Amino acid sequence: MIIVTGASKGLGRAICERLLSSGVEVFGLSRDVSKIPFESMKCDVTSYDEVKQVAQTLKRSGKKVAGLINSAGVASLNLAVTTPANVVERIIKTNLLGTIYCCQLFSPMIFRHKSGSIINFSTVGVALGLKGESIYIASKAGVEGFTRAFAREMADFNVNVNCIAPGPIDTNLIKGVTPSQIAKVVSQQIFQKQFTPEAVCDLVEILLNPKSKALSGQVLYVGGV
Amino acid sequence: MSDNVELKNRIFKAMAALLDDSAATVTDSTPLIGDDSALTSMKLLELCLSLEDIAEELGFEFDWTSETAMSKSRSMFRTAGALASEFLSQMASKK
Repeated sequence: MIIVTGASKGLGRAICERLLSSGVEVFGLSRDVSKIPFESMKCDVTSYDEVKQVAQTLKRSGKKVAGLINSAGVASLNLAVTTPANVVERIIKTNLLGTIYCCQLFSPMIFRHKSGSIINFSTVGVALGLKGESIYIASKAGVEGFTRAFAREMADFNVNVNCIAPGPIDTNLIKGVTPSQIAKVVSQQIFQKQFTPEAVCDLVEILLNPKSKALSGQVLYVGGV
Repeated sequence: MSDNVELKNRIFKAMAALLDDSAATVTDSTPLIGDDSALTSMKLLELCLSLEDIAEELGFEFDWTSETAMSKSRSMFRTAGALASEFLSQMASKK
């Protein structure tokens, strides 16, 4: 079974649907699970206690957890000096702490089988240092650093930890971004085009595949930077 | 032998099985973290999984992710004795 956070919408939902269509058992986590048509549980990843409760429930279920995909994330594009403190906190808590909490609490269920894959999410913005995304980028740079170091901690157990860093993928996350802003970011990628959630799902499947066993601690930039 | 002493011996046995030196013995004061630790970080995590399994067998959940788990002075991992004692205490409070 693969645990996917942020499973109710956006990339998380697309990833769940792709995995389910490939016959992979998925367990979705989201703050709102009312519209999730597959196995799921309500969980706010910013709460260590809620994540721990999910971990305990899954442990009791006896299901084998083979992977974790930390796709829960929020974005608020703004200049750092005009971003309210509560928004800064929400971005850091969801993107960085949420990823760390899920890795801390779900990884023991994965590494006990001496194999598995953990996928975190960053953004091409980290490599590009995009103006107006400093807080979001700070949270994702933290995820990249965490991924590199955590990959070493998990390597003893044959668990791969990698990061996918998409550009502006057409999901709710970038609903406030104008077409010209998207074009500006895309123009800095190696492939100067906007990718769809399908491209991200392809990378997820590659990283979950045992054939990518030699990859760990890597950040894969969608579109290339 | 009381159940607790027997269980403590079982926990020490699980630790001993993870030591590189098969002749080494585990005592109450065997350090599990820090420079003198008898176990590598990987072995320590393996020990935690073993304790989870023993706890499951005994009908409770062993929680090794509490706030005090990694505090140097109060950590349940500071010595083998402290870890065994935390295990027994969690068993007593959760069963």
